[in-house]
Amino acid sequence: MDTARNQPDVAVAAPQAEPPASATAGTTRKGRFAGRQLAPRFAILVVWAAMIGVYWGTEPVLFPHTGTFQTIFGSQQPLVFMTMALMCTIIVGEFVDLSVPAVFGFGATILPVLVVNHGWNVWPAAIVAVLGCVVVGAINGFLVVKVGVNTIVVTLGMSTLLMGISLWMSDLNTISGMPNGFQKIALFDIGGLPISFYYGVVLVLGFGYLLAFTPLGRHMRFVGASREVSRLSGVRVDRIRFGSFVFASLLSGIGAVIAVAAIGGYNATTSDTYLLPVFAAVFLSTAIFEPGRFNPLGTLIGIYFLETGILGLQLLGLQSWVSQVFYGGILVIAVTISTLLHRRAT
Amino acid sequence: MGGLRPPIAPYGGTPPKSAAPPTLWLLLGRKLVSVSQAEAAGAGQDRLAVGSVSKTFGSARVLREIGLRIAPGELHGLVGQNGCGKSTLVKILTGIYTPDPGGTVTVDGRALALPVRPLEARAAGLSVVHQNLGLVDDRTVWENVRLGRFKAAGRLTRRIDGKAERAAVAAVFARLGANVDVNEKVSELSAEDRAAVAIARAMQDHEPGGGLIIFDESTRAMGKAARGRFFDLVKGVIDNGASVLMISHQLEEVVEVTDRVTVLRDGQVVETGIPTKEIDEAGLTRLMLGRHLVTHSRVDSHAQPETAVQVRNLVVRSVRGLDLDLKKGEIVGLTGLVGSGAVAVAEAIGGAREARAGTLTVNGKTLSLKPKRGSTEDFIKAGVAFVAERRLEQGLAGELSVTQNLTLPRVKTRGGRFRIGHSWQADETAAMIKKLDIKPPDPHKLVGTLSGGNQQKVLLGKWLAGQPDLLVLHEPTQAVDVGARHDIIEAIREAAADGCGVLISSVDAADLSVLCDRVLVFREGKVTAELTGDLTQDDIIHATFEQPSDQQGPERNLKGVAR
Repeated sequence: MDTARNQPDVAVAAPQAEPPASATAGTTRKGRFAGRQLAPRFAILVVWAAMIGVYWGTEPVLFPHTGTFQTIFGSQQPLVFMTMALMCTIIVGEFVDLSVPAVFGFGATILPVLVVNHGWNVWPAAIVAVLGCVVVGAINGFLVVKVGVNTIVVTLGMSTLLMGISLWMSDLNTISGMPNGFQKIALFDIGGLPISFYYGVVLVLGFGYLLAFTPLGRHMRFVGASREVSRLSGVRVDRIRFGSFVFASLLSGIGAVIAVAAIGGYNATTSDTYLLPVFAAVFLSTAIFEPGRFNPLGTLIGIYFLETGILGLQLLGLQSWVSQVFYGGILVIAVTISTLLHRRAT
Repeated sequence: MGGLRPPIAPYGGTPPKSAAPPTLWLLLGRKLVSVSQAEAAGAGQDRLAVGSVSKTFGSARVLREIGLRIAPGELHGLVGQNGCGKSTLVKILTGIYTPDPGGTVTVDGRALALPVRPLEARAAGLSVVHQNLGLVDDRTVWENVRLGRFKAAGRLTRRIDGKAERAAVAAVFARLGANVDVNEKVSELSAEDRAAVAIARAMQDHEPGGGLIIFDESTRAMGKAARGRFFDLVKGVIDNGASVLMISHQLEEVVEVTDRVTVLRDGQVVETGIPTKEIDEAGLTRLMLGRHLVTHSRVDSHAQPETAVQVRNLVVRSVRGLDLDLKKGEIVGLTGLVGSGAVAVAEAIGGAREARAGTLTVNGKTLSLKPKRGSTEDFIKAGVAFVAERRLEQGLAGELSVTQNLTLPRVKTRGGRFRIGHSWQADETAAMIKKLDIKPPDPHKLVGTLSGGNQQKVLLGKWLAGQPDLLVLHEPTQAVDVGARHDIIEAIREAAADGCGVLISSVDAADLSVLCDRVLVFREGKVTAELTGDLTQDDIIHATFEQPSDQQGPERNLKGVAR
């Protein structure tokens, strides 16, 4: 390699005929890409509309009724809060926080137990309930982020533990008898729907804004995509992961307080029925609006989509097992579809 | 490219491990022989013949009428820029992609059904060694070699007969001429033994005197010493009568070890079967780029008199108490063999690695290099930018867009608390796309869908956009094509001209000689040489391998024999 010593490095000059064809190819591909992407983005809205059409046709008396509309949109507030809680940790790359419904149930049990069984004033009791949830989130976060225990193990264990404590606190009973005025914070009527519906919408929009437009949201996305890349880019990864667990529990706690207000009490045994709907709705979001990516607005749509489907089936006379079939089926189908969409996009 | 990269270790000056035989002697001796063999057999039947293979994705035609012939016992090189279609061709040959109708793939005269069925390809003796070798680290050597081929022994138990499997694997190693303990865990092996395992896996089904192994940038992750051993093994494969198709970015490697080479550009064969005796790296580069070339040599130093960066008493890995000053606009290279400490120093100064002691002063701000940090936030605030080596693991998030990746380090400082803001992101991204010629120039493209060279440009742009005072780069041109390398080198120079202190940790003597004002050579944690002035890569290589008395390396003699 004698020549190498004197032979200088070579480089590019005068790009001979950089084909302008590549530019046009790029634009056409992009145009096609957009068209291909648009369909799946809104496919679920079409399915939703079709579903409503079918129910309307088969059940023309019961289905097109304001009561149906109110049930669909007025009853899902607990799910909205729980899905947003789950979303917090999913966005930062912790896919399986199984403790969300249990934390919700924990808060929703503390509040009526303190108020009804122990005679507390409702507001301090609500604060204690929310704080209780936050403490649980901090413990989860500490174990997962600082100690490095597997998320499934921590949250599955925590979930069962909390469920047990909730059942013990409530003595396996439905605890009801919350003061009347308290209902107002959840059921105050605005335009035919309870105020809790609007809480959910505001929460979802706020969360969507956070993710799309704020530095914190961008950092969360990157932590979810790659911790090492984030760390080397000046993102405080552990703080964001820990914060996500705490914030998730905070949302569950607040959601629990509002749910108790709406229901007037709580039965701790119902907590685990939320697990599948929460996951189904969150994963459904990956097939809506931003294919392959978890997004809050998609989740909200997913929740009401699922509820419409189930309510309609129940109106048609099918039994309550229908909800399990529907939630389970949708979860599998939605994730399959979004995986396929994602594969095609990349 | 002028062949400026360091030659493969065992023949460059003095090898670090003298255990390896003077490989090139053997290779070149073999080469002359095998070419004649190949020519003799070439009239007969090709080991692999690819005819008119095309591949279209949607409206994009990524391969156009590819034709390629490989003779029995031939070592054939395949080169081309990133994104020219090399990987697509491999994926067609391995059955991952279905080619457009009309193409043919023939092995030893027998046409394979298209798309290629993996089992049929295996039966025909066609196998691939991928860049990461595809080994399962925590299993043993024999399990890795036999993976996918285990035979169930015993009528009822259907268990794996470990004894027979081990014996079969040992026989393969014997044929290959490699000495590897089949019971060792793969994670315990040296780089060259890992390569031997991958090769053994690829060649175990070969009929004597048959078979074809495709090496898809297999040497990319290998150190220089390991490469020498690797080519010994490849020679073993050839001696067994198999053919080899080697895909590589290392042009001098291709010129040195292969018999003939095929060049792809934009999905088409530019020229195929060029004997490497008749072409050099510059010639290959010209074919790959299809554009005129000008010389690209050292330019004047941009170093200014003021000091930009001070490192004091850095203790990290084997390095104990390093002091280092960097002037504004100065480009300093750090190099050395694996474990010499050069990489650790760069990573510590860049904030990516925790040091045991030391301080870094940039622009009057002093940072301790010691404490464990959750992130490099302090470093970034002080004006330090670290361009990591592994771009998709440490540098960029492939599932997010160019804009999002490029602006990440600054979304907090440039954006408001409640709103990142759109315009500065768009401006920054557009500026970097223009400056670095990122293709396609689409700010919303997902980084994972870009070619390697363009990813590296996005990574560099991500840090250059912050106008750092200290830019630390680790292997900035690794596995990028020639065009991208040029753009990256220009951008680094431009940063230095703007007064940024630049620290480059690299084993690429070509880059260092072209870019650096000063090169520090590390050995066992100490700076053993400081090279300044007009650097040549030979000086850098010699200093890296030390023993400067040995001026007449075997390499030069060999070259004389070869040409």
